[in-house]
Amino acid sequence: MSAFLKTLFGDAGTVAVVAIILAAELLLVDYDQAASAAFAVPILVLAGIAWLARR
Amino acid sequence: MLDWTIVVPAFLTAAVEWVEAFTIVLAVSLSIGWRAAAGAALAAFATLAVMTAATGGVLGLGLDVRWLQLAIGVFLLLFGVRWLAKAVARGAGLKALHDEAQEFADTRAKLARGDWTASWLIAFKGVLLEGLEVWLIVVAFGLHGRAWASSTTGALAALLIVIATGLVIRAPLQRVPENTIKFAVGSMITAFGTFWMLEGIGGGAAVWPWGDWSLLGLAAFYALGGLALMALMRKRSTVGAVQ
Repeated sequence: MSAFLKTLFGDAGTVAVVAIILAAELLLVDYDQAASAAFAVPILVLAGIAWLARR
Repeated sequence: MLDWTIVVPAFLTAAVEWVEAFTIVLAVSLSIGWRAAAGAALAAFATLAVMTAATGGVLGLGLDVRWLQLAIGVFLLLFGVRWLAKAVARGAGLKALHDEAQEFADTRAKLARGDWTASWLIAFKGVLLEGLEVWLIVVAFGLHGRAWASSTTGALAALLIVIATGLVIRAPLQRVPENTIKFAVGSMITAFGTFWMLEGIGGGAAVWPWGDWSLLGLAAFYALGGLALMALMRKRSTVGAVQ
């Protein structure tokens, strides 16, 4: 079961990165900053990838 | 009419996974024979086919498009960042490259300790777990934009090519440039995930400055960003090793 879940969702680090991105998007959209989110989110995603790669 | 922007990532994702699944089935076939190993693989494919039909049916019915986009976006992002990060780490030399010959040897060692049922289960579980990521991509792309034919065609074409090549060379498919494919697919899938997730939360394609064309920009951004990260990490690890 753990192999199944890990294949679907990845490890805790991956889930944490995506959860942070999701939270940031919700916050930006909630504050009417959806247009800024289109530029900020990809940078945040790339930062997450950098962090995951270095672990 | 096939949508090639869906066929290509589905094909490449599936190719990487099917190569890994083939290595496991090949190793198992040396223990319990081709028929039994192929039977285990077929059972796993049947399970994946049922899962694809069931999830496609359930998710396609009555679920608000925005929620569907958000859910698909989250899953694609989970998948994409994982693949891209892994490819960057391997490209920068921080992690060892995936080695099909080593995978084959490890599976053979595992099989030496088990009986027929255990061997059959290793083949079944191996194909099922590798196929889960293919299932995820086929369902995600299939549901979004109703591109079932394109996503399924990509995955099945990859399966046929891997099986045909494997049957011809009868050895682990070591020469497949796995990390390059993972990097390219990771960039594409991360772009789709980012695009659909914000579209789902923000309420439509209007949130993206160039509409659907933003997808291309995102994929290029992640590919170039990934290459830059790779170069930066390689440089740092070299400096660290010298010091």
